[in-house]
Parts: sequence; structure tokens; C-alpha cells
Amino acid sequence: MKSVARMSLAEFAAYVSSHLRKHGIRAVLSGGACVSIYTGNRYQSYDLDFVENVPSSRKRLQEVLSAMGFTESDRCFKHPDTDFFLDFLAGPLAVGNEPVHHTAELTFPTGTLVLLSPTDCVKDRLAAYYHWGDKQCLEQALLVTQNAAVDIRDIRRWSAGEGKLAEFERIRSKFLEARRKRE
Amino acid sequence: MLEPLLGSKNRERILLYLCGRPEGYAREIARFFKTDLDPIQKQLDRLELGGVLYSHQVGKTRLFGLNPRYPFLPELRCLLEKAIEFYPPEARENLVITRRRPRRKGKPL
Repeated sequence: MKSVARMSLAEFAAYVSSHLRKHGIRAVLSGGACVSIYTGNRYQSYDLDFVENVPSSRKRLQEVLSAMGFTESDRCFKHPDTDFFLDFLAGPLAVGNEPVHHTAELTFPTGTLVLLSPTDCVKDRLAAYYHWGDKQCLEQALLVTQNAAVDIRDIRRWSAGEGKLAEFERIRSKFLEARRKRE
Repeated sequence: MLEPLLGSKNRERILLYLCGRPEGYAREIARFFKTDLDPIQKQLDRLELGGVLYSHQVGKTRLFGLNPRYPFLPELRCLLEKAIEFYPPEARENLVITRRRPRRKGKPL
């Protein structure tokens, strides 16, 4: 298998995800790393945010990751052979107010990665745009829409649930245009 | 009031305080409840780590607020608002009323 030093973000995430799963820890990749993966690194992230629906003990996580060569510093896990680092966020796995029931899986030579689906990845970025006014997150949501199959109708429904239907209607044309570029 | 549920008096104080305001900082919360700063800071950190609060730095001050992305926020708000109703009128007023609109420095109150 490829050395950690030569792994791409997606390969590294898959390597970690598979190892964790082997030890009964089912963590789902979320956040900016998913954007990076769905956009072929058009947005580069070094921060791999994992979320567990049913959190395992911190001690168990430390044991498994330590056996893989990670060390913990300031609640993040770093590996000596790469700049990518891991953060385990408090669950539950959710996009805004909604729980995530369906995740995606991508397989690489280094393992199988469980991550947010492209549609949930867009919702995750839009939550940051809606609630923090972070325009970079809107750009990331559009980039994902341009590069992966995204259900815009479901995003509209979810936006309404977040109390942001008017805001979604204001930016909807950008999503339709992004989807057209993909087609 | 919610201490048996939340497991800490200071955690309850923080959540009640932030329920009535957009944001607040550790010293302000400690001063409001006439309590020590250190346990308030510890609970703020724990609540942030758990995703219940967010924080950001403004100058030298770290401001905290209820995290709008916390999936249980609407339910938590309902619980906190109900708890506030059980406080005596004066305490209730103090908890929810705060002057946030701008006021020129030096202008008499």
C-alpha cells in the first residue's frame, strides 16, 4: 500500500476511515474535506473533520489512532508523515437541524471512506453560509454542485426547515447554473 | 432549576444567560451571577466542544453564543425559555433584558 506521506486527502481519509471501522468506530467525514474530495481538490483542505453518530470513548479513539502512528495535540490527531490532521467533532451527525440518515461511500486502494453525500455536503456548507454569513462556504457549495450530482429540490426543502427559504430562493439561480455547467 | 438535567449549576447559568442574548463573554456571565470566573470559563469550553455553543474572538474578548447549527437548539431553547418562566419576575427580567443597542461613549444614561 502507498505510504501515508504519498496519500492524497481522499486516500488518507479512506485509510483512516477503514482502520477506524475495523475497530468498531464508525466515523463519517464531514466539513471542508468533503468539498475537497467532491471537487477534485479545487478547494484544498488539510483538516479532516470526522463525526460519530454514537460517540466511542475518547480513550478508545486515542488507542486506535495511536497504534496507527497518530499523536494528539490540542484535541486534533496528527501523523508525522503528512500535513493532514484529524478532528473528531461532537455528534450527532447532522446538517443544521436534520439528522443525516444516508451517507456515501467511496473506495480507494487505501480503503473505503464513509462521508457526507454531495447533497448533504452542500447543506453542510450552506448551513455555515446561512448562520455565519460565510461567503466562502457558499462558493464551496456551488463548486460541489458543479462537480457532483446534487438534489437541489431537497436542498430547497431543507433550507425551508432551517427557516432560510427566502435566502435560498435568492441564490437558487446560482445552483441551477452550477448544475448546468456540470451537465 | 435545570441543574439535575444539565449536571452543573454553571452550565445552566451560561445557557440561561445566552438564551436571552445573542452573545456573551465569560467575565460578563460570571459578574452577572456573582460567581467565580474559572468555573464559568471551563463550562463555556465544554459547551463549545460539545457543539452547543460557538465562539469567536473580538479584540481580546472571546464571545460565545448558542450555536445555530446545534441540531437540538430549538428544543434546548424551549426548555431554557420554560425554565426562565419559573424565575421570580425581577430575576426573569434581568435574564432576558439587556441593552445591546449602541450608545456613544460618555453620553449620560
